[in-house]
Amino acid sequence: MDIDGDFEDTSRRVQVRFITKLIAPFKVPANAIAIPSNLTRLGLSTVVNNLLSAGNPEWEEEPFDFLIDGELVRMSLEKFLLAKGISAEKTLEIEYFKAVAPRREEEPSVHDDWVSAVDGSCPGFILTGCYDGFGRVWESAGLCTHILEGHSDAISSVCIVNPGEATNVTLATASKDRTIRLWKYSKDDRVKNPTKLRPFKILKGHRLSVQSVASQKSGHLICSGSWDHTIKLWRTDEHQSEGDVSIKKRKKNTQAEESQLEEDSVATLDGHSQSVSSVAWPKHEEIYSVSWDHSVRRWDVETGNVLFNHVCGKALNCLDIGGEGSSLIAAGGSDPTIRIWDPRKPGTSSPIFQFSSHTSWVSDCKWHDKSWFHLLSASYDGKVMLWDLRTAWPLAVIDSHNDKVLSADWWKDDSIVSGGADSKLRISSGIYVL
Amino acid sequence: MDNVNAGDDHHNLENDKDQENCDDNPLPDQGEEESDSSEDEVAPRNTVGDVPLEWYRDEKHIGYDISGKKILKKEREDRLQSFLASADDSKSWRKVYDEYNDEIIELSKEEVRQLRRLLKGKAPHADFDPHAPYVDWFKWDDAKHPLSNAPEPKRRFIRSKWEAKKVVRLVRAIRNGHIKFDKPKEEQQFHDLWGDDSSTTEKTSHLSYIPAPKPKLPGHDESYNPSLEYIPTQEEINSYQLMYEEDRPKFIPRRFTSMRSVPAYDNALKDAFERCLDLYLCPRVRKKRINIDPESLKPKLPNRKDLRPYPTTCYLEYRGHKDAVMSISTEANGQWIASGSLDGTVRIWEVETGRCLKVLELGEPVKYVAWNPRPDLPILAAAAGADVLLLNTGLGDGEVQAKIKEVLHVDKLPVTENSDKTPAATWLQDDKTGGIRLRHFKSVSAVEWHRKGDYLSTLSKKLTQKIPFKLHGLPVSSVFHPTQSILFVSTKKEVRVYNLLKQKLLKKLKTGLREVSSIAVHPAGDNVIVGSREGKLCWFDMDLSSEPYKILRCHPKDITNVAFHRSRPLFASCSDDGTAYVFHGMVYSDLTQNPLITPLEILRGHKTVNGRGVMDCKFHPMQPWLFTAGADSVIKLYCH
Repeated sequence: MDIDGDFEDTSRRVQVRFITKLIAPFKVPANAIAIPSNLTRLGLSTVVNNLLSAGNPEWEEEPFDFLIDGELVRMSLEKFLLAKGISAEKTLEIEYFKAVAPRREEEPSVHDDWVSAVDGSCPGFILTGCYDGFGRVWESAGLCTHILEGHSDAISSVCIVNPGEATNVTLATASKDRTIRLWKYSKDDRVKNPTKLRPFKILKGHRLSVQSVASQKSGHLICSGSWDHTIKLWRTDEHQSEGDVSIKKRKKNTQAEESQLEEDSVATLDGHSQSVSSVAWPKHEEIYSVSWDHSVRRWDVETGNVLFNHVCGKALNCLDIGGEGSSLIAAGGSDPTIRIWDPRKPGTSSPIFQFSSHTSWVSDCKWHDKSWFHLLSASYDGKVMLWDLRTAWPLAVIDSHNDKVLSADWWKDDSIVSGGADSKLRISSGIYVL
Repeated sequence: MDNVNAGDDHHNLENDKDQENCDDNPLPDQGEEESDSSEDEVAPRNTVGDVPLEWYRDEKHIGYDISGKKILKKEREDRLQSFLASADDSKSWRKVYDEYNDEIIELSKEEVRQLRRLLKGKAPHADFDPHAPYVDWFKWDDAKHPLSNAPEPKRRFIRSKWEAKKVVRLVRAIRNGHIKFDKPKEEQQFHDLWGDDSSTTEKTSHLSYIPAPKPKLPGHDESYNPSLEYIPTQEEINSYQLMYEEDRPKFIPRRFTSMRSVPAYDNALKDAFERCLDLYLCPRVRKKRINIDPESLKPKLPNRKDLRPYPTTCYLEYRGHKDAVMSISTEANGQWIASGSLDGTVRIWEVETGRCLKVLELGEPVKYVAWNPRPDLPILAAAAGADVLLLNTGLGDGEVQAKIKEVLHVDKLPVTENSDKTPAATWLQDDKTGGIRLRHFKSVSAVEWHRKGDYLSTLSKKLTQKIPFKLHGLPVSSVFHPTQSILFVSTKKEVRVYNLLKQKLLKKLKTGLREVSSIAVHPAGDNVIVGSREGKLCWFDMDLSSEPYKILRCHPKDITNVAFHRSRPLFASCSDDGTAYVFHGMVYSDLTQNPLITPLEILRGHKTVNGRGVMDCKFHPMQPWLFTAGADSVIKLYCH
C-alpha cells in the first residue's frame, strides 16, 4: 500500500474513508480512497467538495471541517497522524461536517452609547443594554422595536427571565445605578417608532453598581452580583407577595400612570471579598459566580452555602456553564485566557482547557445551547472568537468591531450577537453548529 | 575427534586399495628408523616449516612439497558418513588427523602403548629399566691421591656479606620509595608546542622564573593559499600607503599555487631580532589574579516566578485627556480611578472597561488628584493652580450624596473666625462644581488625605499648611502615616517625620540625594521609599536607622513618583524615561529580618513627550495591578 512512499516522500498516500452525520446531499460514497498525506484541512475540504460535485452537477462549494479520533484536523494529515501516533497503514475514518464559521455579516444596529450587554436567549428578539441607561429590544438587525426607559445610569447586564414563553416575556436589566429593573415585553405590531416601556418592578438593595444578573430556569427568581461583594436573589412575579416587604409607588411624571413596585431582595449570598463580576444560574438550586477576588464559587440556593470554591489567580469577568452535561465552567478575566473547569472531577484545580488566542481581557464567554463543544468568547481586543473544545485554535474570528467587545451571545443557534464600545450591535449569522 | 572422523573413510578406502602391498603404513613391528624412512618416502610432504597453520586455513592448499608445488587439501567426507564409518571401524579410536600433512594416521598398538607410558611419566620404551644396578666405572683402588685434598672453605658455610649489604640497600630503597613496584613512569615523548607555558612554571623550582610569552600564532591570512576574503583588494593595498607606519598592516596576505612557490620571508631576521629585544628589554611581571565566580558576587534573590502575581502586561488604556496626565488616584474599592491633567480637566474612569465616566472642567492645569480614602465618602480633592478643590464625584446612592452635600457645604462662619489669624487657605463654596474651593497664596503641588479622610494636607510653593514646624527648604511631598498621627514631609534634601498629636519632630531621614521628588509609606508604616530626581530610589527602614537601608539606582532619568501596594508586598517607581519599575518589597513582622527587595519588572509603553515620561503610578487597592499616567496623555493599566 505504501510502496511509492518509500522513494518519494512528498507523494505519500493514506487510505481514508469519509463519513458524516450530514444528510443526503452532503453524503459522499463510503468507499475508501487514497489521498496524499500532506493535505491540510483546505485540501481535505477540496477533496470532499470534488467528490460531492462528481455526484451532483449543481453542487456549490461548501467549507468542511474534519474530525479524526475526536480531534479536529488543524495541520497537515501527515503531521496530525504523527502527532497523534495513529498508524497510516490502516484505513482512516474521517468524519466531516460543515465548518463552523459565520457566513454572513448583518448590518450593524447603532446605539447611542457603548453596548454593554446583549442577550439572545429568546429567538424572537435580541435584548441589549447600553451605557446611556436604556435597554433596547431588536427584532432583527437594525430594527429596534422597544426601548426600556428608567435607569439613571449605564446598564451593565441584561437577562431574559423566561425566554421560553411566547408572549409576556419578562426582561431584567441591571445597572450601575444600583438597581435591577424588571420589564414586561410582548411582541406587538410593527410601528414606525420604537415603543417605550416602563419597568413594572424596581429591585433595590445593592449598595454599589450591579454587575451581572441571571435568572432561574423557571423564571421565578433572579440573582445579581454587585460591586458590594454580594449576590442577591430577587422575586420576579408581578403580584405583591407580602405587603410589608414592598411599597407601592406612583410615578407622577409618567404619562401612563403606571404602578411600579419596589422590592427588596429575598436572600443575600455573602462570601466574595471583592466585586462579583458575573453570575450564572444553570440549574434549579445552583448558582455559580465569579469575582475579582479570583474565585469561582457554586452556591446552594436553599442553604446559601458555598459548595465549590475554586481560586484561579486572575480577576475574573465572565462565566458561563455549559458543555458536556452542561456542567463545565468557562470563565475569562483579566488576562487573555479562557479557562474551562470540570467541577465533577474531584481534587483537580487546574483547568481542563485553556484557550489563549485573544490579546486582551476576555469580557464575555458563552456556551452554545445545544452543542457540547462550541463556545464563543469576546475580548477587549475587539474580537469575538468561536471555539471548539476539540482543537486549541479558534474556529473563527469575528473582527467586525472597531473597539472593545463588551458582550456577546448566541442567537437562534446559528448567529452570534455582540455589542461593544463602538456603540454597535453586530450580528454574524449562518453558523451551522449542528 | 572431528579430525579423526573426517579422515576416516578416506583412510579406509586407501587401506582397501593398498591391501596387497600394505607398505605405506608402517608396521608396528618394524624399527623406528625404518618407519621414519618410509614416512620420508611418502609422496608429497609438506615443507611449510614451523609456521602457524592458520595461515593456510582459508587456502586451497596446505603447503608446498619439496619441489615447490602446492599440495592441495584433500576432500573432506560428509560428517554423517564419517561418523558411521567410525562406528563400524573398531580401530577408529586409534586414528589421528595430522593437520600438518593433512592426512589420517593410524597409530599402531605399540605406539599407543608408548603414549600411555609417556602419559604416566615413565620412559617410553618398555624395556628401559630406571633402577638398573649402579656400575661404578671409576677405579678407586689404585689412585694414590684424591683429585683435591683441600678442606672445604669457610665461605661455603656462611652467608655472603656483600649479598646481605645489597639486600639491605634494596630494602632501604623500597622503604624510602626510590623503588616503586607500580607502573613504570611514562615519559612524555612530545613537547606540547601550542600548550600554555603557565603550567611549566610549577615544574621549575625557580621562584623568579616567568616564561616568555609565546609569539602570536599564524592565522588563516598567513596561509600560503588563504581564502579569498583574506586577500586585500588593490584599493585596500593602496590605502595602506596613506596609513601611519604603526597602523599599517605588517603582512599582506597573498596566494600561491603551492608551498614550493612561497618566497623566503624578508622580515624573518628582523622579526626574530625584535622579539629577542622584546624578551630582553621588557620586564616580565606575574599578574596576581583572584578567581572569583562573578555569579557568586550577586546577591541571592528569590526567583521572580515565585513572587507572582505582579503587574507585567498592559491590557487596558484610558484615553481621552488632551494633555499630559499629571496625577491619578484610585477609589477605595478599586472600581473607579480619577486623573488630573494639564488640559485643565479631572476625569473619572471606570477601571473595568476604560470608560470615561465624568469630565470635570477646572479651568486650570490640574497638578494633583486624590480620592478620599473612605469608601463611603467619594470626594475627590484636586489641586489646580493656587486652589484645592474638593469635588463631588456623583457616585454613591442618595444617602451618600446627601452626606457629601452636607460635608461639602461651607458656612461663612469658619472663614470669619480664621480671618484674624491670616489663615493658610480660605474656604470658599464653589458653585460651578458644587464643591469647596480652598484658596492658597501660591500654586499647590500636592494634596494628601489623612487615612480617615477627615484631614488633608496641601503643599504649595509657599509653605501654607498649618503645621507649626519649621522646614528647611521647600516642601516637595508629604504623606500621612497609615496608622498613626504622623506626617512625613520631604524637602529637597531630607524627610522629616512629625508627630501631629504632640506637635513634635520625631526624626529626620537623611537621604543623601540631590533632589527628592516623591515619597511613599509602606502600609505597615515602618518603611518609607523616597524617589529622587537623579533616578535613585531609597528605602528607609525607620526602625533601623535614619540612613537609607538600600539605594536602588534603576532609572536613567528623574523618578517622578513612587507607590506602595496597599496589601501586597509590591512597590513601584515611575520615571521620566517612560518606564515604570515594579519591585517586590517584603517587610517581615520579625524585627530581626531585614526587608527583602527584589526588582521584578520594567513596564514600558509610555512615550516621552517634551522630556517627560510617566508622571504618576498608583496600585489598584485590591488587585496586583498598576496604573501609570503618562505625559503622552494616556493612562495605562498593567495587569498580572
